[in-house]
Amino acid sequence: MAGLMSRHALPARHDPRSYDPEATVTLYLRHNGYQPPQRQGPQWTGTRLSTQVAVLAGRSLRAAFSDYRLVFFGLLQPIVLLLLFSQVFSALGTLPGVAEYQSYLNFLMPATMVNIALATAMSSGVGLLAEVYTGFVGRLRAMPVNLLAVLMARTVSDAVRLAVQLAVAVLAAVYLLDFQPPNAMGTIAAMLLCVVFGWGLSWIFVALATWQHKPEIMHAASFVVMFPLMFSSSAYMPVNSMPGWLQAVSKANPVTYAIDATRALALGKPVGSALAMAVLLIAGAALLGGAISARNFRRTR
Amino acid sequence: MHQPGRDVRIDVRSLGKSYGSVEALIDVTLNAKAGSVLAVLGHNGAGKSTLVDILATRSAPTSGEATVCGWDVTRFGRHIRRHIGMAGQFVGLDDSLSGRGNLILLARLLGASRKQAKERADELIALFDLTDAATRKVATYSGGMRRRLDLAASVLGRPDVLFLDEPSTGLDPMSRAALWWFIERLAADGTTVLLTTQYLEEADHLASDVVVLGAGRVVARGTPTQLKSSFGSRTATVTFADDTSMRRAIAVLGLAANPTADEARRTVTVPVTGAAGVTTLVRMLDAAGVFATDLTTAEPTLNDVYMTLHEHGWPAS
Repeated sequence: MAGLMSRHALPARHDPRSYDPEATVTLYLRHNGYQPPQRQGPQWTGTRLSTQVAVLAGRSLRAAFSDYRLVFFGLLQPIVLLLLFSQVFSALGTLPGVAEYQSYLNFLMPATMVNIALATAMSSGVGLLAEVYTGFVGRLRAMPVNLLAVLMARTVSDAVRLAVQLAVAVLAAVYLLDFQPPNAMGTIAAMLLCVVFGWGLSWIFVALATWQHKPEIMHAASFVVMFPLMFSSSAYMPVNSMPGWLQAVSKANPVTYAIDATRALALGKPVGSALAMAVLLIAGAALLGGAISARNFRRTR
Repeated sequence: MHQPGRDVRIDVRSLGKSYGSVEALIDVTLNAKAGSVLAVLGHNGAGKSTLVDILATRSAPTSGEATVCGWDVTRFGRHIRRHIGMAGQFVGLDDSLSGRGNLILLARLLGASRKQAKERADELIALFDLTDAATRKVATYSGGMRRRLDLAASVLGRPDVLFLDEPSTGLDPMSRAALWWFIERLAADGTTVLLTTQYLEEADHLASDVVVLGAGRVVARGTPTQLKSSFGSRTATVTFADDTSMRRAIAVLGLAANPTADEARRTVTVPVTGAAGVTTLVRMLDAAGVFATDLTTAEPTLNDVYMTLHEHGWPAS
């Protein structure tokens, strides 16, 4: 390294091909006499997983709520869907299986809550892909950061976002559309279930995002998963009114259990085995998705 | 088990990396000591970024060994990542945050307290002349500003080893000069810097050692001076007032050397060796009665080294 030492021993201004470092400092860096910060402060070498998750989740939430247009349309979307579905299908309110809920809106609202949870879970995968594409995750790969923290932060921040969306959607349904939940506690429990459902399912979409890397494919695959799950469930029609084969599909559909449990909690009906099944499925989805995404989202290639 | 080294910060031995049938790195060996700047020079696709990715533990080698700060890259990535900084070819920032917000976030992830993170962010924002844009979202930054912020992020944790993958790309001349100044002082303060570059002048200016990569292999290595003396030669360029003088000079000098002429500028360039070479050149022109209007000499550059190696089909060192 003798070359380096001699290079540093000579002032750089003596190099005829060189810039004038002092002028550069004055003009550009504005730090005359600045000493490199390398050894002026502590060398940070990483922090705990919980801190990493909190810092990264906070960042995602700030990004999600920093653009008022994004917030506005994000909150408006479920309300518009609710308004459209409740008006278009209002005649279904007298059908057996629906009539007991007094109106189609009461029947539909819990399903809409699950629908919001599904859509938010879907966006977790797309959001993760966007982070990979910006190169931000690439930087984290060379830092003392546990990559599991990136995935956990993504799902946690989306769960918080989901809670806000659900609260606004329920309030809008109560005050604008005449949704009539019998008691607040049941509705809050239903919202909590939806948040947990959305969080569990977001791991499946995060796993999908770590498996393939094109946002277009991610969107297409997400819709292919989402629409059959919603329409083959008890979301919009009572299961008993469906054709035989669809009834079989519906009874095997995990979303049916989430909707039935949410509906029962929100409208003060007996929960039965739906809640236990829903929680079991959520735990299964979170474990499966978590294991797949942790395996795929490896640091090295 | 490898023990952390005290002097050699980067040690690469017979490193190989292949993606299927494509061999990105073949039998690469190099090392860098504390406080040195090692330049890895090569054209696009030579394997520079692959090498940096492996050393920064973002990618695993297929064969060979590599240690950073004494730790094996395949087994002790966690330890290595605590002591390195990296600025890749593609800027890795969060567009939705401000420049200051990005630095605070990354400092927090490195373990800084909120107060420490803010202080460090402000320090680097000022150093990289981003004060006016500190609170603006990075999405609104120009390419050069993004590059500067990325470089600031790479030194947030005061790393022992800094990997800079083509750091000058996208920088204006002033920013590049400032970057060079910064790298020089980092190295003087004990940081080991491995930088990849296609700017030959950059390697020449900054590096104590240069490794030239060609198609994944090390095709030359040494100090800039060694490389230039091995693969390049000092030249003298003589300018003439008219075409006749220039043609006579070509005829005279052609007897002793291999002159190249630039007819548009009326210049003739010949390789020379030391002061005697220039004297011989002047005497030959004087003896032939040829008058010159100007005479300049130039040291060989790494560009000469690079071109010579390329013309000779990447000879192994």
